[in-house]
Amino acid sequence: MKEKLKNFIFAELIYHEDPASFGDDDNLLDAGLDSMGIMRLIMFAEKEFGVTLPDTEIEPDNVGSLNSLDRWIRRSGQA
Amino acid sequence: MTNLADKLFNPADYFTFVLDQEIRDAGMPGGYCGFALQLAAAPDLQALQQRLDLLVERFPQASAIIETRGKRYAWVATGRTIPLEQHQCQPGADETDETQRLLLDIFNRPESRPLTVHWIAGAGGGTLLLIWLHPLLDARGGKILLDFLSSEHPESFKESPSLIEAKLAQWSFWKKLQLFFKAKRHNTAANSLDSCLPTQVEQGPQVLRLKVQRFDTDQSQRIAKLAQQYTGLTGRTLYYLGCFMRAMELVGPPAAKDGYCIPYAFNLRRQNAPTPVFGNHIGCLFARATRDQVRDRKGLFAHLLSQHKQVVRDELDLAYLPLMWLGQWLSPARYAKILRKQHSGGELSSLWFSDIGDLSWGKKGFLGVPVTNLSLMCWMTLPPGLALLASQLDGKLVLSYSYLSPAVDEDWLDAVIATMNSELLETGES
Repeated sequence: MKEKLKNFIFAELIYHEDPASFGDDDNLLDAGLDSMGIMRLIMFAEKEFGVTLPDTEIEPDNVGSLNSLDRWIRRSGQA
Repeated sequence: MTNLADKLFNPADYFTFVLDQEIRDAGMPGGYCGFALQLAAAPDLQALQQRLDLLVERFPQASAIIETRGKRYAWVATGRTIPLEQHQCQPGADETDETQRLLLDIFNRPESRPLTVHWIAGAGGGTLLLIWLHPLLDARGGKILLDFLSSEHPESFKESPSLIEAKLAQWSFWKKLQLFFKAKRHNTAANSLDSCLPTQVEQGPQVLRLKVQRFDTDQSQRIAKLAQQYTGLTGRTLYYLGCFMRAMELVGPPAAKDGYCIPYAFNLRRQNAPTPVFGNHIGCLFARATRDQVRDRKGLFAHLLSQHKQVVRDELDLAYLPLMWLGQWLSPARYAKILRKQHSGGELSSLWFSDIGDLSWGKKGFLGVPVTNLSLMCWMTLPPGLALLASQLDGKLVLSYSYLSPAVDEDWLDAVIATMNSELLETGES
């Protein structure tokens, strides 16, 4: 899951000289993920992983890193 | 015949060219945009000229002219240099007023070149003004171009193909068709609500004027916090748009109709990407609300956020690309009518708007000189005769209002700006 998210983020949303070096806990917001990017990322995740990510939970703790995104998507899938 | 040096417009270049033609047809200079950077000292002007020469060598499009190629349009390189044009503030005059006067004199003069660069010298520092024609590049491209002029490693800036063409190439014919009809339905919905406008004037000689609102760090942080509170992490742009709709509604729109419609750009460039430099890589979205919805502050933000989410969920952010792709084969006048006119014949846009985002140069500054202030400007069609460009410099929000005079009443605009400020900071009645 994290690999798919990472591929989408660095292909479509953020430029990074070496995406492979971007760690799972590195901050996506500091790396340049903006408001429109967050929206597109959420829509990608909902479609790709068949989950609904609640609007009320769109916050830095859930979209700030690949690990936090991964946890949020898994948690929402179980709900 | 297409020369190897010719570069055909991409669909978004043509979209902006059509609007440039509308502006020129109304007797104004054209679809020009400007970034004015106030610098703490004069940069090395000789080094800047050398960098402009390198720009033309590396990117011949920078000094190209527009020519038709069959039904399409293309940039045709001329190889002409881009001279750094130097201006001097009159000694003894208030430097801020004098700089603003010179900026607007330059911006209002008739122009055919796609890119000009100016240095307005003050007593200590001065203002660097970059003016570009919108079909040449979008606002993020403008920042990249300034980075190129200032970079220690200009060789790292490379041209790359159109992101829009690349996206279109990924889709099958049927996918394009499906998206095209989605966009058409979206347009029809946008057209169904007659837009309030900042003026009732539709023609006559106009000059462009500028008002800039700069917020300090504390105010900017407060606005960012409120934006997150009302429109979440995903909607900073929507907060600005909603506050503006409310400001216009509270002051009273000069052309009062059913609601507000504000187009805003969707950028295909990845954040922080140094390429492509030239070309437009944008799609278009619309924020729409009825006057009743605008009067309810909390409800308005919820509505705009929900509308925006639905648009992304329905892939409407991408649906405009096939629409722009097909638009390439329409004449500018016919395409413009589709872009601008509602079913009732009125103008679609209540305002031209762009959130350009962060325009900081950090500690390195521009060619080693700190950037102390910023203002942005752009020409727009009449109506609406008003454009709002939002940006951030070192964490401080800057809102630049370009407007056509006498079409837009200055006292009315001052009242709207004051109300907008209190809406952004939530200091007024809600």
